[in-house]
Amino acid sequence: MQWQFSNDAPIYTQLIQQVKVGIVTGAFPPGERLPSVRDLATEAGVNPNTMQRALAELERDGLVYSQRTAGRFVTEDNTMINAAKRSLAQRHVKTFLEAMLQLGFQKEEIIDLISRELGEEESDHASA
Amino acid sequence: MLRKLLKHEFRATGRVMLPMYLILLVTALGSNLAGRGMMNGHSDILNTLAVIIVMAFGIAICGVLVMSFVLMIQRFYKNLLQDEGYLMFTLPVSVHQHIWSKLIVSAVWFAATILAIIAASLVVAYDVSFLREFFDVLRWFFEGLQKLKISETLNLTAYLAEFAVLLFLSLAAFALQFYAALAAGHSRANHKMVWSVAWFFGFQFALQFLGSLLMITLDHLGVPNFLNHLSVHWTSAESAIHAGLLMAIGVVILYGAIFYAVTTFFLKKHLNLE
Amino acid sequence: MPVLECKGLTKRFGRVSALDEVELTIEPGRIVGLLGPNGSGKTTLIKLANGLLTPDGGYIAVCGAAPGRESHGLVSYLPERTAIPTWMTARQLLDFYGDFYQDFRRDAAEEMLDHLGIQPRQAVKQMSKGTREKVQLIMVMSRAARLYLLDEPIGGVDPATRDYILSTIIGNYNPEAAVVISTHLIADVEKVLDEVIFISQGRVALQSTVDDIREEKGMSVDALFREVFKC
Repeated sequence: MQWQFSNDAPIYTQLIQQVKVGIVTGAFPPGERLPSVRDLATEAGVNPNTMQRALAELERDGLVYSQRTAGRFVTEDNTMINAAKRSLAQRHVKTFLEAMLQLGFQKEEIIDLISRELGEEESDHASA
Repeated sequence: MLRKLLKHEFRATGRVMLPMYLILLVTALGSNLAGRGMMNGHSDILNTLAVIIVMAFGIAICGVLVMSFVLMIQRFYKNLLQDEGYLMFTLPVSVHQHIWSKLIVSAVWFAATILAIIAASLVVAYDVSFLREFFDVLRWFFEGLQKLKISETLNLTAYLAEFAVLLFLSLAAFALQFYAALAAGHSRANHKMVWSVAWFFGFQFALQFLGSLLMITLDHLGVPNFLNHLSVHWTSAESAIHAGLLMAIGVVILYGAIFYAVTTFFLKKHLNLE
Repeated sequence: MPVLECKGLTKRFGRVSALDEVELTIEPGRIVGLLGPNGSGKTTLIKLANGLLTPDGGYIAVCGAAPGRESHGLVSYLPERTAIPTWMTARQLLDFYGDFYQDFRRDAAEEMLDHLGIQPRQAVKQMSKGTREKVQLIMVMSRAARLYLLDEPIGGVDPATRDYILSTIIGNYNPEAAVVISTHLIADVEKVLDEVIFISQGRVALQSTVDDIREEKGMSVDALFREVFKC
């Protein structure tokens, strides 16, 4: 997994996002055991307490659950993983839209641009 | 913990001193062979070589003596007052243990150096006839001893013992004067070495001043006369010599104790590593 | 009980105050950044906590006691300079630490040395500057101490070594112990820290958690530092 951090948000919220991405993309598959807090912290190069805080938050959301002795596991509930996927997607769309509106695009123009981009991609695939 | 300090101090110094002793032994062996060669040979080259080897032996003796002295001061300076001091002064060990470990190890190396020089000299002088001569001398010595009364024998050994103790204590006290000067000088923020030298000569001056002051005062009080008067009543001259030696030992202990106190004061309260 | 506590701590060199009435408390389980420009008093504070300097005023305590022989057994200290004797081999160094510190985990140290490819017979003298710093850090982090005081552990080393050092610190994290890292290279350590203490001209200018700063100010600790210490 690639861990990257920006400078403007708290590190634990960024960790929550990145572990979520890991779960959604299957880097941490459903039902699998997560590495220990220390290993995850070492891998991400972050403070173990911060990692602990992020995982506790994910546990509260239900994306991971802990078994007393065995450690933390990724949820097997696919509807929950899909919900997380949707919310991540919504965040991306939101930031995208904000940037587009700032550039002065109208709703219709944005939709038009997107569908044209998607169309080109499809024709790219078709020609390939 | 003192034992562990000693162990690592011996490790640190042994890697310098043991090769020195080896050089001493090798040059001693060489000198022995060279001596025989010179007596028999006629070759100029061999003779020159022999002279060089004998000179090397002389240099080795000086070297080993100088080294055991230099090491005594250099270990204190490098191990405690330079970068290694950061490690040493954060060990769970007291300042007293640090000073004692340095003193004890230096004293042991001095004793070892003296023994090594004696041993090396025996090696140089060794000859087939030498052993016989050596034992002759020993026999002469012990026969001489037998002629003495028991009390005289005891006295003689006691003098030697007292003298050896005095020698070692003087050396330790002298080392402590160096330690005190270094510890005081290195409590300064800058020019630590200049200050150390200044402190050393300051101590030297103070000692001489106090010494002469003491002499003058004693003289004024009429102590020498009193001692002379007293010595008449002493049973023998031997006791007077013993008294003198023991007094000298006492003075040296006092001299060492003062510098020990100065050293611990600066290392405990005014340590200021660079 | 806090592992490090200072009250009104003052240290003067001549007429200059290196530390002036410093108040701070460090609890176990935290990794704390001691941040400040050069000459702000970071090293002086760490030296005082190690008993390498004596305070001129106020009070400093490590695990409740004044720095001294007992506290040295609880504190693992990485000095700014390479203090390990250069004539020693790696094995002699392990002996040395094992002899003096009861909490030294020799097997952990051996594993880390082995990982770096350092032979037990290799002398410190023969190692590069970066390797020496790594070896010294390995010795320091191999102790199960209550307080780790790391003075500029990442100053003057290349970025790869920097990463190695930081991951070694995280990998040896112990919830019973606190780690204090003094540095002026904030961007590199920020993610590793729970808390930061800003020191400016011998005084504590700020003590806060990294995420509180990011949440409240919307900027990284590095950015805040640049703002606070703008020349």
